[in-house]
Amino acid sequence: MYLKMFVLSGAALTLWLAPLTTLDKHIGWHKAMQGLSLGAAIACAVSAGNIARNLADENEIEEIKTRAITADVVDEIATSAYVSQAQRQHEAEFILTANSQQETENNSELDSIRESLELLISKTSSDSSELSVINLSTRQREQIELILQCHIKGITGKNKILKEVWGVSAGSSQAYRDAKAEYDFLIPFVNGEEE
Amino acid sequence: MRAMYLANYFIAGCIASSLLGWIASLHPMSFRAIAFLAVAAFILWGLCWLLDFSVSSLLKISVQNLQALLMAGLAVSIIGLGIFLCT
Repeated sequence: MYLKMFVLSGAALTLWLAPLTTLDKHIGWHKAMQGLSLGAAIACAVSAGNIARNLADENEIEEIKTRAITADVVDEIATSAYVSQAQRQHEAEFILTANSQQETENNSELDSIRESLELLISKTSSDSSELSVINLSTRQREQIELILQCHIKGITGKNKILKEVWGVSAGSSQAYRDAKAEYDFLIPFVNGEEE
Repeated sequence: MRAMYLANYFIAGCIASSLLGWIASLHPMSFRAIAFLAVAAFILWGLCWLLDFSVSSLLKISVQNLQALLMAGLAVSIIGLGIFLCT
């Protein structure tokens, strides 16, 4: 199309200028040839102009297509980025919600343990005669039995009982402190058993 | 490419102007007819310059485009007739 357009443009210029400059206006057939060439030159120029206009329109359409494709790509990238961000935000919210739920469960569990301990302490402090070993664990009952056996044997010292029953020596170790706390907890039950 | 098709139409106008000159040179009556057409076109051209805003709204083009068209028409006539008369 480009070649055709350029050939037609060149032909139009040639057919316009060449006969006017080379042929004589006073000779009849020269004048006729000039008229014919001018008509042909107009046809060539108009055809070349139409071809050029079609090519310009096609180029414009191609540019519009290119801009549309570019806009689509940009839109797709922006959409994927938005979706990715929303997904990450959703995951983060899910993790935070799960943590808070777990924390709530732990708190409720701690509250129930605290309530049971408070109930036990209040029972212990209000009336020792009402203490019962029914609610104690098997291990605690065995420890009470061992403490009673120590009393029967004449071992009454706290540290000696801790050494006999829990196997810990007096000191500042964590095992000793735990054993001492457990001993203090079990002593009222031991006294109740002895009575 | 847009400049190319405008240039081609410009050349076509120049050639048409030369063709009118050639027609005018054929016979005295044709010369009078072409002269009458040229005078009418020139009057119309001047009126378009005077009434450029009205004509531009009538043709639904901007005033700048109308003025460019008028200037291009004048250039086409001058170049086409000039080449025909000078050769």
